[in-house]
Amino acid sequence: MIQGRAPMIELRRLHRYFGDTKAVQDMSFEVYSGEVLGYIGPNGAGKTTSMRILATLDEPTHGEAFVDGFSVIDDPDRVRRRLGFMPDYFGTYENVSVREYLDFFGRAYGLRGTERLSAIDRVMEFTLLDRIQDKPTSGLSKGMKQRLCLGRTIIHDPGVLILDEPAAGLDPRARIELREMISRLAHAGKAVLISSHILTELAEICDRVAIIEQGKLIAAGSVDEISEAANPTSLIRLRVLDDAGPITRWLEERADIDNLVADADLLTFNHDGGPNDQAELLRQIVGEGFQLVEFASKTKSLEDVFLHVTEGRVQ
Amino acid sequence: MSEAAAEATGTNALPHREKLLASAWQWTEPRLVAAAEWANPILVKETRQALKSRQFVATFLIVLIACWVVSIGGVVLIGPRIRYEAAGGVMLLVYYAVLAFPLTVIVPYSAFRSIASEREDNTYDLLSISTLTPWQIIAGKLGSALLQMLVFLSAVSPCIGFTFLLKGVDVLTVALLIGYAALASLGLSAVALLSGTLVQVRYSQVIVSVGLVVTLMGAFYGMILFAQSFIRDSYLVLQEEEFWIVNLALLTLYATTFAIVSCAAAMRISFASENRSTPLRRLLLLQQACFVGWIAAIAHEEGLRSLPGAVAATTIVLSVYWYLAGTLMTSEWPFFSRRVQRSLPASKLGRWLLTWLNPGPGTGYMLAVSNMTGVVTVGLTIALVFGAFGTGGPSRADLVYFCLLSWGYVVALLGIGAMLTRLLRKYIFVSMPAGFLMHAIVFLAACGVPQVIHFMYYSTSFTSASPMTHVSNPVWTLARLIEDGAGSVDALTLTTIVLTAAAITLLLNLRWIAAETQPRRAVLPERVEFDEQQLHPEPEPKPSNPWDREAAEGV
Repeated sequence: MIQGRAPMIELRRLHRYFGDTKAVQDMSFEVYSGEVLGYIGPNGAGKTTSMRILATLDEPTHGEAFVDGFSVIDDPDRVRRRLGFMPDYFGTYENVSVREYLDFFGRAYGLRGTERLSAIDRVMEFTLLDRIQDKPTSGLSKGMKQRLCLGRTIIHDPGVLILDEPAAGLDPRARIELREMISRLAHAGKAVLISSHILTELAEICDRVAIIEQGKLIAAGSVDEISEAANPTSLIRLRVLDDAGPITRWLEERADIDNLVADADLLTFNHDGGPNDQAELLRQIVGEGFQLVEFASKTKSLEDVFLHVTEGRVQ
Repeated sequence: MSEAAAEATGTNALPHREKLLASAWQWTEPRLVAAAEWANPILVKETRQALKSRQFVATFLIVLIACWVVSIGGVVLIGPRIRYEAAGGVMLLVYYAVLAFPLTVIVPYSAFRSIASEREDNTYDLLSISTLTPWQIIAGKLGSALLQMLVFLSAVSPCIGFTFLLKGVDVLTVALLIGYAALASLGLSAVALLSGTLVQVRYSQVIVSVGLVVTLMGAFYGMILFAQSFIRDSYLVLQEEEFWIVNLALLTLYATTFAIVSCAAAMRISFASENRSTPLRRLLLLQQACFVGWIAAIAHEEGLRSLPGAVAATTIVLSVYWYLAGTLMTSEWPFFSRRVQRSLPASKLGRWLLTWLNPGPGTGYMLAVSNMTGVVTVGLTIALVFGAFGTGGPSRADLVYFCLLSWGYVVALLGIGAMLTRLLRKYIFVSMPAGFLMHAIVFLAACGVPQVIHFMYYSTSFTSASPMTHVSNPVWTLARLIEDGAGSVDALTLTTIVLTAAAITLLLNLRWIAAETQPRRAVLPERVEFDEQQLHPEPEPKPSNPWDREAAEGV
């Protein structure tokens, strides 16, 4: 918990069962304002179910969920004023232009007069939809529809955003633009809960990630924290200037090293420990008089972490 | 051109008229814009959609073309006789058929599709998470239906006006027929919206859709048949006072039923923690009050002789009414959400008077029982106080037994259904439709089992069986009691058995009814209270004397 700040999103021991299927089990986490939490898990892990509960579209079997301190069960009306939910599907109307679509949702969120007009202009400028404001929504490309849906999500300037697979099916340029928009929203102080299968994208914009599988939260924190907690060993690669034999023998005697592979002057091995331990190892190698050309620790990606902590099971 | 010539040709007058028009428009436009700001968002959106929709434009054009064809064809067929023949009635009937089709079929079906397509196009969730209330959503859809109806009316009304110029139709007949069509259209739209909220999955949508179309077509043919007889007899019936009284009574029934159907539709789409029951229960009470009021007024007009009939009719109607309402209320979920608990009556008087309006199967059962008790008490009082009814109708004894048996059957059958539903809930999830089905099974068993025994051991004759065989069958017992009198059914023994069964059922239900009356009003969480204060701040106290005013103004 961040000291002195109340969470904008809070799940407390949330459960959701559909008959015998346990879609969400004992889920608890918090998201603070200005923070982006990546919500990742295999298909059927319970991401959308828990997001729908937060968006007041479903109710939990047990447990509580709060948005800006309001219970999603007891005060859905107050939650809806503070929440923007972008589901993993488009919801567009026939015979409605982009501007009319945003105007409708502006009205639906109680915006009146100039307040609504300026909100529409702000959103269209933010999502770069102003050039196509008179186009019918049913004729938009997927990328444009995603922008429109994001625009609808933020039309009432909510403090909390829940985005379910916002980048799914977008081309690389559209994905980059969407990522930038989400980062800007987080910088504007919004709490963002985002799910995506494109983990490289998430790694770049998320402050923390929550990994779920089979409805259970199995890890939460920054990528480094999860990585370290899940598997403290790191893959080290080093290259020596002269013969690799002495250093190989020296490394083989150490208990904190295994899987040592020597290929001419290049050595790779697993080392138990974090960055501090690696620094100590480097200091000892140099102290022993070995001449190093390269010492590199491979940083684990979000994909590595995800694959390591999950087993890819689907309910 | 001289000034006089200009004045004569009217060129000077034109700018003045334009100026007047411009200033009128300048006055009107901002008011229209302001009104549109506060209009229902769904109404605004659907109006925009309709204006661009090919389907709407095509339907409107077809109606318009049909009107032209009828006008030209009718005038050609009637020929020169149009000058002296009373052809207005026939023409009005044909125009009415042209109008009734969009009003009773197209407009309500569009309302159904409007809410069903929200689910199909995934926009229903988006509406649900907006700050629109379920009432606003239903009102917007109804407003859209009303607007479509007005557009169709505007297309056909010049033609209907034309029939008034022909002989054979008076303006009151035309106005009433249009009024009936408009009310039917709006009422059917409300029913269609309720049907739209009932369907969740595609296959049920197909079934409901077919059922709705059949109902709407039936309503259309009904409207035509009604219009035919009304146009034929209107010059007679419009003179009668009873016609207007019946119309007013039907209007009351329509208004209350419309409110119940619209409320049910809104409750269907409201969030699970919302109190979906209390508004409907209030409306049921209102409708009952209206019904009793009308029966009382008619009985008052008719005099003492009509009292037995009025009491019997009221008892029958309200027994069926509260039994049906009770089957739904006793199938409600037995737990209060914290949101509902916040709105429970807090004062002792409030708890005393309003507890049965709280949601829950136990309170629902008690609401039905209380109302039946009230109805039967009034019926018994009338039967006992006004002993000499005169000739005709059931006797005093018949009426007393009838009232007591009606009460007993409703209390016993509802109570048994409610207990079985509660028992089943210990093992499986029982939804409201499943609870309703449980009551239906209980009722069919109560009526059907004696009927089977009747056929097995007696004959196919309705009256030949022993009354005790049909002790559980309210239909047989009450029908025979009212038709053949108390002696034909051994009324005393029957009433004793049924009332004992009812009392036992009521006692058995009391434990969980009591459990539902225990929850007290929950306190508002601090966060909600704070938010409420920010949303609706208390107004600053106004100065009550000159010194306060001076202090406030800093003088």
